[in-house]
Amino acid sequence: MDELDLLKKDWKKQEGKYPRLSYDQIYKMLWKKSSSIVKWIFVISIIEFLLWAVLNVFLMNEEYWAELERIQLTGFTIAVYIIGYTITFYFIYQFYKNYKKISATDDSVTLMQNILKTRRTVKFYIAYVIISTFFTSLVSIYFTFDYHINNAEAIDQTKDYSFNAMQWLIFLGVTTLVVFAILGLLWLFYKLLYGILLKRLHNNYKELKQLDI
Amino acid sequence: MNKELEHQFVSNLEKHQNIVHKICRIYTNDQASHNDLFQEVTIQLWKAYPKFRGDSKFSTWMYRVALNTAITLYRKKKRGIQTQDYDTVHFRIQAEEYDNESEKQLKLLYDAVKELNDIEKALVFLYLEDKNYRDISETLGISEVNARVKMNRVKTKLKNILNP
Repeated sequence: MDELDLLKKDWKKQEGKYPRLSYDQIYKMLWKKSSSIVKWIFVISIIEFLLWAVLNVFLMNEEYWAELERIQLTGFTIAVYIIGYTITFYFIYQFYKNYKKISATDDSVTLMQNILKTRRTVKFYIAYVIISTFFTSLVSIYFTFDYHINNAEAIDQTKDYSFNAMQWLIFLGVTTLVVFAILGLLWLFYKLLYGILLKRLHNNYKELKQLDI
Repeated sequence: MNKELEHQFVSNLEKHQNIVHKICRIYTNDQASHNDLFQEVTIQLWKAYPKFRGDSKFSTWMYRVALNTAITLYRKKKRGIQTQDYDTVHFRIQAEEYDNESEKQLKLLYDAVKELNDIEKALVFLYLEDKNYRDISETLGISEVNARVKMNRVKTKLKNILNP
């Protein structure tokens, strides 16, 4: 007899030895708070969406608009915002759609796939935000310089705004460093947060799918 | 209507609660974690209950939701103090039922199962519950061939743990 069959025999014998909860005890449990990872993922994702939205509102203060108008970039910025919000709403819609699909009644693999898919939507959203912010910043920096150089009243002032090769190099170097430092921090934060939250799910998913064609 | 649904659900769960206790037994090591997992399974079952159509048996449906909770949805709470291993408290086998030798072997076997990973535990659990490979593959969402191969690996692993 192999080990599992031996265990099975004993397993059946113990059927009557489990604790028994009463109707009332079970009834009370229905109203307790869940601590499932899906709830955590939902809360964290909403915070992420909100965080970027709030950040945007803060960045879009009056001074910012005044500066934009001065350098004649209002049209560009409005276009960027309209496209940006359309894309954001698309991501939120996708997120909600995927989230609704998560159901404990599915088989384990489908359930895990749906959770990972929901998470991936938020990950793509953050990647989109970072990349688009990076490019729009580049464009506005370029236009700011361009404007100030073209509109400087005196030759002396032009000097203030035009960089020589070395200054450009330092400027680009520092900008790149700052961008990478921010990206590095974000990456670390994500690794930690989702390392903790999703490590078990990832491992179990891999374990299940292993050998499956 | 809602009250009726609650009553229906709680009565069903009360009747079939052993399934959840057995899953808790496989996946947790102490009484406090057992209670936590039992509660989370109950919440997940209740949340999924409106989707329960009744075309499958309540108990069959329970296996799926309860296992999904144990291997995917449940977040273990960190505990500072490990409470006493409950195998020795709640499930002690009466001495007269076993001779010493087989009791010792069973204890070793239960300990060996504790060393398996989440998925292996799920396979062992479904096997102990007399589920066939088709049921196992449908519950976990893998192919039947995969389920068979995995089960054989679990058997080998258990042998290796018992006879290092």
